Amino acid sequence: MAQKILIIEDEKVLMELICKKLEKEGYAVETAGDGESGLRKMRETKPDLVLLDIVMPKMNGFEVLETANQDQTLKTIPVIILSNSGQLVELDQARALGVRDWLIKTEFDPQEVVEKVVKQIGAPK
Amino acid sequence: MPKEKFFEKREKELTEDISTLEGYINDLWEIIPVAICITTPIFTLLETSRSFNNLFGYEKDEITGSPIETIFSKEEDLKNLSEKLFPRKKILNFEISGKAKGGKEIPMLVSAIAREDQEGELVSYIFSFVDVTLIRRVEGTLEEKVAELQRYTVQLEGSRRALLNILEDVESERVAAEKERDKTAAIIKNFADGLLLMENNKISLINPAAQAFFNVSEAEVVGRTIAELEGTAKIQSFAKFLNKTGADIFREELPLNENFILEVSTVATLKDAKETGKIIILHDVSREKMVEKMKTEFVSLAAHQLRTPLSAIKWALKMLLDGDMGSIKQDQKNFLEKTYQSNERMIALVNDLLDITRIEEGKYLYKPTVTQLELVAKFVADSYKDEAKAKNIKLTLRKSDSLLRPVKIDVEKIRLAMQNIIDNAIRYSAEGSEVIVACSGNEKEAIFSVQDSGIGIPKDQRTRMFSKFFRGSNAVRIDTEGSGLGLYIAKNIVEAHNGRIWFESEPGKGATFYFSLPIDSSNGKI
Repeated sequence: MAQKILIIEDEKVLMELICKKLEKEGYAVETAGDGESGLRKMRETKPDLVLLDIVMPKMNGFEVLETANQDQTLKTIPVIILSNSGQLVELDQARALGVRDWLIKTEFDPQEVVEKVVKQIGAPK
Repeated sequence: MPKEKFFEKREKELTEDISTLEGYINDLWEIIPVAICITTPIFTLLETSRSFNNLFGYEKDEITGSPIETIFSKEEDLKNLSEKLFPRKKILNFEISGKAKGGKEIPMLVSAIAREDQEGELVSYIFSFVDVTLIRRVEGTLEEKVAELQRYTVQLEGSRRALLNILEDVESERVAAEKERDKTAAIIKNFADGLLLMENNKISLINPAAQAFFNVSEAEVVGRTIAELEGTAKIQSFAKFLNKTGADIFREELPLNENFILEVSTVATLKDAKETGKIIILHDVSREKMVEKMKTEFVSLAAHQLRTPLSAIKWALKMLLDGDMGSIKQDQKNFLEKTYQSNERMIALVNDLLDITRIEEGKYLYKPTVTQLELVAKFVADSYKDEAKAKNIKLTLRKSDSLLRPVKIDVEKIRLAMQNIIDNAIRYSAEGSEVIVACSGNEKEAIFSVQDSGIGIPKDQRTRMFSKFFRGSNAVRIDTEGSGLGLYIAKNIVEAHNGRIWFESEPGKGATFYFSLPIDSSNGKI
């Protein structure tokens, strides 16, 4: 069975684009439009990887990470941040929370995102 | 009693009386302290008193019968004396110069009286002499003393005047000092920053601003030591802060509560190179800190808001171009490719703007690291390999002759500064030319340079090269896309590191941009 990727992203267009790209690659993709539902889906679906946005309604990316880190079952799920901010203060904070990678959306295109995903969980089975 | 017998008896009585009188006189002659002599009318000495003999140094027999000139040292004295004596028969305290045996002169006062018999015939003179040597000497000394006193008086008068002058000067100095003091006091009182003065380890002054900061009165603080103030709740945290750091403090932050932050600086007051006290300056930076925090939040938000639609466009275009949405025709592809490039420029511009917002203040370097400038330069130059190749420009990294000493830098920001300079060099150089990136240095600084043989910098625009949004007129003609922010950002970054940035250029022949960074003196390991 294909690896499951959860995308937590409030920008619909971006979410659809990356979702389409990853599905096309052969991954199983779940989506959530805000931090709160994202966390809920993490618990429900236990994905192999999470692509997480930072600035989101209800619960921001950092809050999602902090909560997930306190949950033994969620703690081990690798997370790649997909954000448009990238101040070093934020990067350090994310690193401290065990984040695997940080992608600035304007600097990477969908193909490169796929490459980062492959690096973390391998090519789709 | 018969007459004869009476006379006989009377004569006998008289003779006895005279003899008794003679005895008296002789006795008097012996003991009277004044020198007295009796002379004949022609001044031959007949009788002399013991004092007379003592005064002049003669034995009685020796002097008796001698002319009076014997005891005068000057002839005219005797002449003057006799001239006065003849008509008046009496002179008093006539000043002469006497002469003792052996010739010694003695200043003396002479009094004389002529004695006559019953018929008025001159029979003798009586002279008295008073030795005035001592008096004269005393008088002389006295005169000297008086003269001396007068001199002293003059001197004293002078000193008094000088003193008065000094007093006047002191007075005017005092007035000036008072004025100065009032001025200083007014400044201190109305100073917006808090000011405290410490002398002999005790607070000697606290201005109203500082009182307001801690909500304390002057009386609660002045005269106390820092250790004592640690017991006063209102000012406790400040006292502890001061106590903790013994040496001079420069702009260290002291948060009094979440929304109230003071920046503390201390300066030692010196006298003859010895520390006599401390001036403590408190600057309220709460507002700056709040603005700084807001700025970080704003940048984060703006980055998100501006970049999100741009990334959506980027991704959509890219996926279309990559054929993820189905195949497209070549002319469609070309069209989309151009749109994609426009979007990329927009992203670059937004990135520049965000960099500026972050760097403009320039003060805050993030995690400075000790490293080799050359390593950073190599990293950045390597990242431009493809771009240079695309433009057929030879990008050379020239190694320094010796190992450079390490610098302490915010690597991310220095990379950005280097990128901006190299980017310019490639952008404004003709195809086929060379861009040389080099590092050099000395004991004090490491220097990064980028040399190109591009368009150069017009002479009249040199001073504005590092201004915000400024672009050289020749650069605008070549490329309309630049933001005019690259060098401005580079300058802010370099100056935040206490470095310098400059360039050399000949219009039309190229330019070399340099920046230097101070060598890390902390001896940190690379």
